[in-house]
Amino acid sequence: MAQRVVKPKTNLGPGFWPVTAFIAVLSAVMVYLVETSPLPIGLIQAGAPADSIDALFRFLGAVAAVIFNIVVIYTIYFGIVFARPKGAPPNTIGVQIHDAPVLEFWWTAIPTILVVILSIYSVKIWADLQNSQGDVLTVEAIGYQFGFQFRYPKVKGLVNEMHLPLNTPTTIHVTSRDVIHGFWIPELRMKADMVPGLINTIRVTPTVPGTYHIICSEFCGVAHSAMDQKMVIESQQAFAKWFARQAGGSGSSGGGGTAIAIDKGHADAGQKLFGQKCSACHSVGPFDQKQVGPGLGKIFNDPAHPKLVNGDAPTPQNVAKIIQSGFQGDMGVMPSAQVNQLSNPDIANLVAYLASLSKK
Amino acid sequence: MATVAPGVPTGPYHAVLDHIHPEPTSFIRKYVFSIDAKVIGIQYMITGGIFFVIAGLLAEIIRTQLLSPHGAILSAATYNSVYSMHGSAMVWFVVIPLLTGAFGNFVMPMQIGARDVAFPWLNLVAFWIFPVAGVILFSSFLVGAPDAGWTEYPPISLQGPPGTNLWCIAVFLIGISSTMTGINFLVTIYKMRAPGMTFTRMPLFVWAQFATTPLLFIATTALGAALAALFIERVFGVPFYDPKRGGSPVLWQHMFWFYSHPAVYIMIIPGFGIISEVLPTFARKPIFGYKMIAFSSVAISLLSFSVWAHHMFTSGMVPWLQLPFMIITMVIAIPTGVKIFSWMATLWGGSINWKTPLLYATGFLITFTYGGLTGFFLAAVPLDYHEHGTYFVVAHFHYVLYGGSIMSLFAGIYYWWPKMTGRMYNEKLGQLQFWLTFIGFNATFTPMHWLGLLGMPRRVATYDPQFQFWNQFASISSYVMALGTVLFFYILFDSIRNGKKSGPNPWGARTLEWMVSSPPPYYNFKKIPAVLAAPYDFGNPLPYLGLEAAPGATEATPTSASHPVPTY
Ligand code: HEC
Ligand code: HEM
Ligand SMILES: [Cu+2]
Ligand SMILES: [Cu+2]
Repeated sequence: MAQRVVKPKTNLGPGFWPVTAFIAVLSAVMVYLVETSPLPIGLIQAGAPADSIDALFRFLGAVAAVIFNIVVIYTIYFGIVFARPKGAPPNTIGVQIHDAPVLEFWWTAIPTILVVILSIYSVKIWADLQNSQGDVLTVEAIGYQFGFQFRYPKVKGLVNEMHLPLNTPTTIHVTSRDVIHGFWIPELRMKADMVPGLINTIRVTPTVPGTYHIICSEFCGVAHSAMDQKMVIESQQAFAKWFARQAGGSGSSGGGGTAIAIDKGHADAGQKLFGQKCSACHSVGPFDQKQVGPGLGKIFNDPAHPKLVNGDAPTPQNVAKIIQSGFQGDMGVMPSAQVNQLSNPDIANLVAYLASLSKK
Repeated sequence: MATVAPGVPTGPYHAVLDHIHPEPTSFIRKYVFSIDAKVIGIQYMITGGIFFVIAGLLAEIIRTQLLSPHGAILSAATYNSVYSMHGSAMVWFVVIPLLTGAFGNFVMPMQIGARDVAFPWLNLVAFWIFPVAGVILFSSFLVGAPDAGWTEYPPISLQGPPGTNLWCIAVFLIGISSTMTGINFLVTIYKMRAPGMTFTRMPLFVWAQFATTPLLFIATTALGAALAALFIERVFGVPFYDPKRGGSPVLWQHMFWFYSHPAVYIMIIPGFGIISEVLPTFARKPIFGYKMIAFSSVAISLLSFSVWAHHMFTSGMVPWLQLPFMIITMVIAIPTGVKIFSWMATLWGGSINWKTPLLYATGFLITFTYGGLTGFFLAAVPLDYHEHGTYFVVAHFHYVLYGGSIMSLFAGIYYWWPKMTGRMYNEKLGQLQFWLTFIGFNATFTPMHWLGLLGMPRRVATYDPQFQFWNQFASISSYVMALGTVLFFYILFDSIRNGKKSGPNPWGARTLEWMVSSPPPYYNFKKIPAVLAAPYDFGNPLPYLGLEAAPGATEATPTSASHPVPTY
């Protein structure tokens, strides 16, 4: 059979042009909405490079919306108008057209041009990030199971909290002490993997004060889900104060390392802290009075549970160790002191409080 | 029209064939250790189906856990094993074996007019590795299943539970099986096409399998080496990856993704092939842009070897190296886009027969496009800094893996089910099943895009309570999807017990597998047919010579030769 040459222009199907117009209008509206939305992903921008990354997101979002509209609406439209009418003989066939070189040329060429534009735009933003200023402040971030610690210039030892001053181009070198972790601050749209033995670098310039989260984005072990730590962006004055405290307090709190002055704890301060930080998961009843974790009321002298959940003897040091480092067992995750935002004196107070409970 | 290639068989061949390959009579040789590619294909289908159920249950456990921000049912340790096993099983034990082993074996030899694959015994070995490896994988639950995700990045995977060793062995074995299948299919397609079946007359499903073969046997070797090193490090302490002892954790990532990016194309190119068969059959017109679809599969396959590091933009590499990986990744979108437009154009002007396989094919078109577009967001390096390792990635790859690969599998099963069993399925239930799956799928995975963008990392057993609503929404939607899957298996059982006889060619399709009876005879073709043209010219006489036409395999003719266009 000779092949029928179909002239698409005259015979595109009923309503083809109205549908095309609809796609055009809908796409224009969507492009407008995406391009003008101040926060296209719905998350605040706490500083550079969040703004330029959001700009790239807008651009890609606009292109994607147009392509998606074209594919979905034409597909549904063709599906409806070219559906075989009810009662038509089953051997009806469609238009026997094999290709349309001109059309195919354009639908190869236009995406190619789009890819070129998108690549150039992405490369440009990438280059901006590479060349962006850092170095006014340099911080080192170290991941460990399961928390983050930081090294600031002129501060001896490691600090457990990250503070960044406003409008200060900051370079953050990230690495890890044990396994791979991720260092992600969503409000800054920045992330780098913390790889042991490697140093990865990101640059940010915070502009909006507030308390944000550093989230671990790379699976790192049982308590990975709990590896989420607060960080603070504050005015340069506030930062200077905080910084002076860190630099002054020689050899400030060092992760699992430094000793905790257990005998200096105060039970009443501990009681208050317990109400704020622990009672969500722990009762003050016996071990078996479980909530998320076990009851802690008899932790130092419970004949039914002579050992701690990690198998250690229930000495004050060992209890402090669990509170310090966290623990993951059959029951679930006991978050670390980083996650619970506890200082070493806090831990001493909590241990004193738990000891006072056990004496009752 | 080209002339018939020399050597077209003319005489009856059964006598000779009976001598070479007598049809086995014992149950064991016929159904268990069979060397018939069709039986092996169905064995793959059943085994893969069982693993799909197990891995799907694990997925529902994941979603149930995430009903509560504190984790509803499992400890974090168990949860980690659950999603790791879910991912590993779905990738290596469901999608890859189903798309290559199952459909490749059942359909491809018939479509090229061959009686079997080139190396039937190799095929048998490749299949039997698969269930053995699967049992090894799942037995790791007895000793502590792997918990570091399907990517098992060291150093954390070096500390993983003992089951991680079994995981290495199982994935290594399935890699060997893939390699065997890849070589087997390459030789089969290259050497065993029926006379007259030139490359440009091959059905597009065959082209897709052809384009997949280099991925199967080249990329998989890198994975094998990486797994062997991981196993040796875990068991004998030779430090390949542990940085404390001079190893490199990033080395694993390069080796792993050098395999696993091509592997995502192992999981999608055969799906492209299925879609390219289903669309013309149900639109009743030639596939639009045959050559572009065929060549773009090959282009995608080759390009996919040079994009692996787009999974590692945040891992640490020389910054400039990110750019070529970003750009080549984006370039892959061009041949992919060409395919998508060609499929849309295939629907245009059709006489569209809306049956379940076509619903799945169009569902595929929509969800796969969406997944491809979010792939762009991940390929753009600066955006990936934000998105990597979050639920956005989970959403992306489920759009391409579930919305792409699994939807194409559903399309393929409904399409070739009558050929496999000789029976029709219940069309009404099939369509209901599609809608449950399609709606459930989108409702499950769409929210994950913004969950990830707003700050929810992947692989977490507990999460920030602010994300609870959309997580619960996703979890409940996933139960709708599960309902769809249950219905799917019901439809299959119902068809086997009560299905109407289908006859050889219920869809009026034109590729060679529909020219033989359903289910096909042991030899596929008593006489190897000669092929005169590409298969998709509806309305033309069938382009095959020397077929002993199966009863009822008559070709549809245009209702009106002068006006075959639907009336509107
Ligand atoms: C998110 C819930 C959660 C919070 C908040 C939490 N814990 Fe725990 N904690 C647990 C879980 C779960 C366990 C048990 C871990 C296991 O064995 O699986 C545990 C175990 C413990 C243990 C060991 C108990 C034993 O018998 O060995 C101590 C001590 C403890 N927690 C103290 C605290 C203190 C003090 C706080 C407050 C700063 C606190 N926890 C806050 C969940 C929590
Ligand atoms: C065709 C089928 C595809 C499949 C099966 C697939 C599968 C996957 C999977 C499983 C991941 C997750 C990696 C992880 O564990 O972190 C992923 C990530 C990714 N995909 Fe795809 N993908 C496909 C198509 C695409 C396309 C079309 C693009 C781009 C145009 C793309 C770009 C990416 C990128 C850049 C990542 C890395 C994200 C990250 O790790 O941050 N993919 N894909
Ligand atoms: Cu982590
Ligand atoms: Cu990839």
